[in-house]
Amino acid sequence: MRQNQIHTAVTIGLLLVAFGLPLIVRSATYLHILVLLYLYAYLTTSWNLVGGFAGVLPLGHAAFVGIGAYTSTVLSLQYGISPWLGMIVGGILATIVGVLIGLPTLKMRGAYFALATIAFAEGLRVMVENIDYLGPLKLNGPRGLQIPPMNTGFTHFMFASKQPYYYIILILLIGVLVLTYLISRSKLGYYLNAGGEEPEAAMALGVNVARAKLAAMAMSSFLTALAGTFYAQFTLYIHPKSIISLDLSFEIAFIALIGGRGSIAGPVLGALLLRPVSDFSRIYFGDTLPGMHLIIFGTVLILVMLYQPRGLQEPLTRAYAKLLARWAKNP
Amino acid sequence: MEILKVTDLTKDFGGLRAVDKLSLSIEKGQILGLIGPNGAGKSTAFNCIAGVYPPTAGTITFGGQKINGKKPWDLCKSGLARTFQIVKPFASKSVLYNVTVGSFATTNRRDAAEAKALEIIEELNFADKKEVLAGNLTIADRKRLEIARALATQPRLLLLDEVMAGLRPSEVDEMVQIIKHLRDNGVTIFVIEHIMRAIMALSDRIVVIQFGKKIAEGTPSQIASDENVIKAYLGEDYAVA
Repeated sequence: MRQNQIHTAVTIGLLLVAFGLPLIVRSATYLHILVLLYLYAYLTTSWNLVGGFAGVLPLGHAAFVGIGAYTSTVLSLQYGISPWLGMIVGGILATIVGVLIGLPTLKMRGAYFALATIAFAEGLRVMVENIDYLGPLKLNGPRGLQIPPMNTGFTHFMFASKQPYYYIILILLIGVLVLTYLISRSKLGYYLNAGGEEPEAAMALGVNVARAKLAAMAMSSFLTALAGTFYAQFTLYIHPKSIISLDLSFEIAFIALIGGRGSIAGPVLGALLLRPVSDFSRIYFGDTLPGMHLIIFGTVLILVMLYQPRGLQEPLTRAYAKLLARWAKNP
Repeated sequence: MEILKVTDLTKDFGGLRAVDKLSLSIEKGQILGLIGPNGAGKSTAFNCIAGVYPPTAGTITFGGQKINGKKPWDLCKSGLARTFQIVKPFASKSVLYNVTVGSFATTNRRDAAEAKALEIIEELNFADKKEVLAGNLTIADRKRLEIARALATQPRLLLLDEVMAGLRPSEVDEMVQIIKHLRDNGVTIFVIEHIMRAIMALSDRIVVIQFGKKIAEGTPSQIASDENVIKAYLGEDYAVA
């Protein structure tokens, strides 16, 4: 019981720190880095529903980010629809696309599924790069879309300072973490884990593995697309190379694999560790050695896969459990 | 009443006929044994019945309904469960988690599923290991876990594929007791086994197959004295018994 109380106290403490951070961190640069950190933690947690629980390795999630970003941006630029509404429309669109991709591909195993998702995401990027107008919708091809920073305010999902963005992405992140927690303790969570680990055994136990994976894919694409809208409103500029890029898909997978796929804490830990590496390597090596962060990621990934194949969350959660037990004994 | 009836079941893999016009049936509450040399087609017959492979020809009825070509998960929900010869535990999860996956077949609530799973773990004398990761279990416990998971789906018919292979004699005896206990609780059991001592002690009737064909059927004592069976499978030692 005492352990549970301490755990609750630690969780509340972390939440207080997360919500209080902008009061201490006044620098826009650091807030920007934090927002991106949460954004990647959010993206990876959404990815984790398929890539972690369902046991496949999707490497094209940037496609859903792109669908979310382009849908809300086009709707708000051309039709004046609030990005909040566009966010939902983008999510629904991404869900449909996710299910359509999932239907044929989720039956594939291992590398074939990964390759199929890469192919789809790259296909989408090339298409968007080559389409200036999709019917009446202006996509503006490789030049991308700029969102003029005219109407700030909550309904326009546009703010002059970084703080509101910080809180929005923080709440989104907490929401997706709570959702993941609930799913992991539900029938769907059990079925996804079982189907991911031993599909034949799972089927014999009454699990329709394909359907469970499809449900996870649908949720994951929806949630990922929401982050696309957020990214568009945060940077106010989207173009295919930045938002439907393989770099983005790979970085999500890197964070998940290093943090720990299939766990709830893994994606957050991965983002905490890797995002600063990514940002600071761009700050210090951006001119001389662009792409340095990917080399560091690769090295870290090799080391983690060799020594902690379940990701960094495993030794860390074990250490945390030990600490809890010790605190509970000697207050 | 017949709970399972297989008529002229045939399964071809390319040019190889693995099961050849096999017919058999199980009465409710019985234990039926299926024996035969390695490669005789026992597991293939099981896989056809459990929906893993669609049969090439023949019909399978379960509880009066034709189940040819039905999917394993649907069959499981209608009360037909099976274990695997090569055990397939969800290795990174605890025993309790493994069994709970099975009990979700009859409920959507986690607390109900977990309670049911705990009940079955107790029933199989497994309670002390419920938090152990399935990947760390001994082979005997993995076989027991296979049964526990299958049982958690609340089957009417349970297909056991060599659940005693690799066990020590004392563990075999315990498994025999467990299987009899399940039968006494109303589960019909269809069992593939190589350990003659166990299959003779368990079965009400035994079907013997060789090269996919049935070569004998009868009570354990009839089978033990059948000349074809002795020649094909049992060996001369069993002729005396």
